[in-house]
Amino acid sequence: MIITKKSLPRRTFLRGAGIALALPWLDAMVPAFALRAQAAPIRRFAGLYLPHGMIMANFTPQADGAGFELPLILKSLEPYRDQLVVVTGANGPRNLDNGGHAYAPSSWLTGATAKKTQGSDIHLAESLDQVLAREIGQETLLPSLELATEDFTSYVGACETGFSCSYMNTLSWSSPTTPLPMEINPRVVFERLFGAPGTSAQRLERLRRNQSVLDSVRAKATRLRIGLGAQDRSRMDDYLENLREIERRIQKAEAQAASTTEVPDAPPGVPGQRAEHVALLFDLLAIAWQADLTRVASFMMGRDVTYQSYPEIGITEGHHPLSHHGNNPEKMARFGAINTYETQFFAKFLDRLRSTPDGDGTLLDNSIVFFGSGMSGGNTHSTTGLPIVIAGGGSGRIKGGRHLRHPVSPSDGIPLGNVLLSIGQRMGVEMERHGQSTGTIDL
Amino acid sequence: MWSKLALTGVCVWLGMMFGSATSAQAPVSSATPPLSAIDPKAVIDRYCLTCHSSRVRSGGLVLEGLDASQIPRDAETWEKVLVKLRTGAMPPAGVPRPDRATYDQVIRQLESTIDAAAGPVFDPGRTLLHRMNRAEYQNALRDLLALDIDVTPLLPPDDSSYGFDNIADILGVSPALQERYLSAADKISALAVGVAEVGTPLDTSYQVPADRTQRHHIEGLPLGTRGGTLITHTAPVDGEYLIKPRLWKTNNSIIRGLTQYDRLEVTVDGRRVHVATIGGTRPYVEGAEAINDEIHKRLEVRVHLDAGPRKIGVAFVHRTSAQAPDILQPFESALDPVDAGGLPQLDLITVSGPLDVSGAGESPSRQRIFTCRPVQVSQERGCATSILSRLARQAYRRPVKDDDVDALLEAFSLGRAGGDFEAGVRVALQRMLADPEFVFRVERDPARARAGSIHRISDLELASRLSFFLWSSIPDEELLTLASRRRLTDAGALEQQVKRMMVDPRSNAIVDNFAGQWLYLRNLRSQSPDRVEFPDFDDNLRQAFRRETEMLFETVMQEDRNVLELMTADYTFVNERLAKHYGIPNVYGSHFRRVTLTDERRKGLLGKGSMLLVTSRAERTSPVLRGKWILENLLGTAPPPPPADVPPFPENSGEQPATVRERLEQHRANAACASCHKLMDPVGLALENFDAVGRWRDREGEAPINASGQLYDGSQVDGPVALRKALLSRPENFVQTFTEKLMTYALGRGLTYRDMPAIRRIVRQSADQDYRFSSIVSGIVASSPFQMRSVPSEVSKGAAR
Repeated sequence: MIITKKSLPRRTFLRGAGIALALPWLDAMVPAFALRAQAAPIRRFAGLYLPHGMIMANFTPQADGAGFELPLILKSLEPYRDQLVVVTGANGPRNLDNGGHAYAPSSWLTGATAKKTQGSDIHLAESLDQVLAREIGQETLLPSLELATEDFTSYVGACETGFSCSYMNTLSWSSPTTPLPMEINPRVVFERLFGAPGTSAQRLERLRRNQSVLDSVRAKATRLRIGLGAQDRSRMDDYLENLREIERRIQKAEAQAASTTEVPDAPPGVPGQRAEHVALLFDLLAIAWQADLTRVASFMMGRDVTYQSYPEIGITEGHHPLSHHGNNPEKMARFGAINTYETQFFAKFLDRLRSTPDGDGTLLDNSIVFFGSGMSGGNTHSTTGLPIVIAGGGSGRIKGGRHLRHPVSPSDGIPLGNVLLSIGQRMGVEMERHGQSTGTIDL
Repeated sequence: MWSKLALTGVCVWLGMMFGSATSAQAPVSSATPPLSAIDPKAVIDRYCLTCHSSRVRSGGLVLEGLDASQIPRDAETWEKVLVKLRTGAMPPAGVPRPDRATYDQVIRQLESTIDAAAGPVFDPGRTLLHRMNRAEYQNALRDLLALDIDVTPLLPPDDSSYGFDNIADILGVSPALQERYLSAADKISALAVGVAEVGTPLDTSYQVPADRTQRHHIEGLPLGTRGGTLITHTAPVDGEYLIKPRLWKTNNSIIRGLTQYDRLEVTVDGRRVHVATIGGTRPYVEGAEAINDEIHKRLEVRVHLDAGPRKIGVAFVHRTSAQAPDILQPFESALDPVDAGGLPQLDLITVSGPLDVSGAGESPSRQRIFTCRPVQVSQERGCATSILSRLARQAYRRPVKDDDVDALLEAFSLGRAGGDFEAGVRVALQRMLADPEFVFRVERDPARARAGSIHRISDLELASRLSFFLWSSIPDEELLTLASRRRLTDAGALEQQVKRMMVDPRSNAIVDNFAGQWLYLRNLRSQSPDRVEFPDFDDNLRQAFRRETEMLFETVMQEDRNVLELMTADYTFVNERLAKHYGIPNVYGSHFRRVTLTDERRKGLLGKGSMLLVTSRAERTSPVLRGKWILENLLGTAPPPPPADVPPFPENSGEQPATVRERLEQHRANAACASCHKLMDPVGLALENFDAVGRWRDREGEAPINASGQLYDGSQVDGPVALRKALLSRPENFVQTFTEKLMTYALGRGLTYRDMPAIRRIVRQSADQDYRFSSIVSGIVASSPFQMRSVPSEVSKGAAR
């Protein structure tokens, strides 16, 4: 079931194989929501993830430094090359415990190695988006947004043996023991950003009602925790802590609702076609940045072990089986075609960021978008020399147009954590370590 | 890692050597020593230590140096050994092993020694504060408020561990998640009470899967129609609604199938409310959005809907076959993203409204909620108290206290201040649904429980465990009444309640949630076989696969049959679509019926399209996945995952061997791969006659199928029938695996070696009752892990910080 206030005409969406989208309804409402005063530039971060690696020969530029030629998979990024850094030679956690598809997504933003367990002792590390949400996200309605494309409920058993599915279902961890759910439904994302439909008065009434319900629930939970066992009490403490965060959001939303007169039309639920779905989520993210409703996001564009096929580009096999191409050249070509195709969504997102004014520049100037995969080669689950592109100016703190090469080697490469740490620092956060970082890169 | 692997390989290789030296591993029964003389440790030392020594450590398991007189102390290790012995997987084929009698005696002695030491009351374990998952929340709404809706858009999906998504440890909390539970409470309370904010009609869209063939009649829709879909839409209030069907368009935005005349009809609760004519009048024009809009406008109908669940059907009036050019198409599936010919298909139904509210109506929810209706303001508080106390008792699953009611009345007053009596009840309901005691199952240790001690949980806690196990929902009044009087654990009472609950339709939750995950039925949704290889595959077949296996499980459960029938049943359930796929003659129409299977190969789970499809890749079968699935889910012996950094195979000059079998054999030439693949592959290869969509075949391409092989225990198989017999050579293995899975699901936690004595006791007792479904359910309910709880020893319990 999909609930919307008003369906979008389908024509707004996908045309043929192209992914040119226009969602004027979203643009129209930005003025109403863009409340912030223009002061210092606002920095934003998004971590985008693809499963199963890439065909690295078609991903890694030949030349180092500036002036490199973009290889096949990255061709669509040509218009933004001045604001790109391609990073070669960063390594994910070594796949020591047969958990390739658990390690890859879980390390992507944490730079850490998942503990092999299925029980309450799941353990990872805080992810970069959540560090940033804590540090720079508190001024916006949502400290961060977690997005994904796949409903993992139809992937029973598709988790690495001995590892909790949590490691595969999300990129974002607010603590070493707290995985955050990712949202796939554009309608829900929309409502979290802009509220449920209604007039301004109705929305205000709802927020106030929710606030008083929340107060009462907090009182109850405080009583309830008395006499609980230690572990239960700790879960209830988390619950109470989270209520405070929700309260903060309600207050933000109230300020927002009071100053707007009309609720925009919500998008439909999960679109039938994946291309539409991915593009819509990217659009929502761009609009959330534009209206400064959030500054931090993570987006799992595909889940590990996905069977997603791509009939729109003539690929009818599943993503995961094809990633185990066995070095068969014909299969590698098709897997590479998927890599190229997925990168085009990223390019489209960059296009949107670059065409949106922000402060003295564009959204792209003031963002850092981290894109790639937690594996280099899906065929062997290799995590050596991950495919990574960092896009955006970071408000002048990142110099683009470079290929930053480190040795592609399990021993001489650099840990993924170094890349994440450098991004965190460029985002203006004082960090000394992230995950298993040993230093920084020359971003 | 590498050295360990290499040694494993050597051990495997050694095994091969021994195998060829002794020429056969068939046991010699004449050498059987008297049973009483068997010392399990001596047998183990003799047959296992070559590989499981402290030096070689095959599979990370060391058996050297274990004390034979201290078996219970090393139970954790011995339980690992038992898993391998029960399935006959060790010693590996080719390595000498004792005769069957000795072998079985070792198993029995290990088990009985461990079980005897465990005593009559086992360590029951403990689960964390248990959050309701999405499925349970949905059922709870149905049982609490008579509101039967899909909550998928309201709550995020739940992570799973141990194969299930109701594992307490993993059902954590986060701001995003709690935000969703709070906003769900807001929306659901409005829907249940019937609050509609006029002026902001909601659109609810129902998508028809793109690969659903719409050429035939769909069950539940009027006879004489084809295709379309039947949805249940919950109207929040009595009023006017707009029903908007949308037709399927090609990638070029052309509505499909407009060359001919077609009629589309809309029904509400079986009553025809609209007929529209499309096509035939003019040729379609490429990209003509205006024409599409005009056509869609014609399909729309504004109707009055009464509050509550309404069945809305949209379907095409069947043309005569002479009119249907589509019928000439050779394949079942009609999906083609570009071709605008053929028959029109329904893509989406949107229900918009209420556009105009005529009243709150009398939905089932309102009848459930408003058991009293105040006439005067002075009666309101009394009526609200009565309504809210009753509902809170069910929602919190215990007798209510004054402060529960006070909190709800406070919320009532808030709503009442801004509206009428019903608005007050709505806010109170919102508060109730947001309550942590609704969302969490809270279990408390007794006041003076000592660290490390175990205790029986309270009757009320047991009532919740029962209802969440059997119904995936909250307890009903009968169960609550018994529990609140502390009569639930009276002799016979519990057994009687389990019986009652199992015949209640709510027990179908076990099919949806347990079987749906155990048998991977939920994965059917994400399976899209290659359209070039399998042009016949469509959503209709996917749904039929699911329904067939569900009905098999339902039958075993509801008719209380031997659970081994899941493997052996000589009956199955088919409709025309599925019968055609299986080659079963004389089955017509869209409804499912029970048929007797004459084909041995289709019997039981091994012959079911659902299992065969979810363990296949898009373009071909995967004997590895099939073998792994069977070992893991039917025999409870999961093979270890592939080693890290598997070296890729050297490319053989672009020439692939022809068949899947040949490619796998090439794979097994690598010793590191062979040690596990020789467990999985022969199991899966025995099913090679079933293709990736579960159709019988005798050839793969040009090559005849070879389904023969040697299983992990040395037995020879040559197809599904022999495989089934081999898997059931120790039928209690299947029963034990089934019990382990059901126990995991019942407790909402992973099992440990400490639970195994309880599991074995259930299986033993069930054997005396022909492994009836009910005997396993009762065994689980009666077990100490289900009825008891331990207090952690390391941390002091109790008082708040």
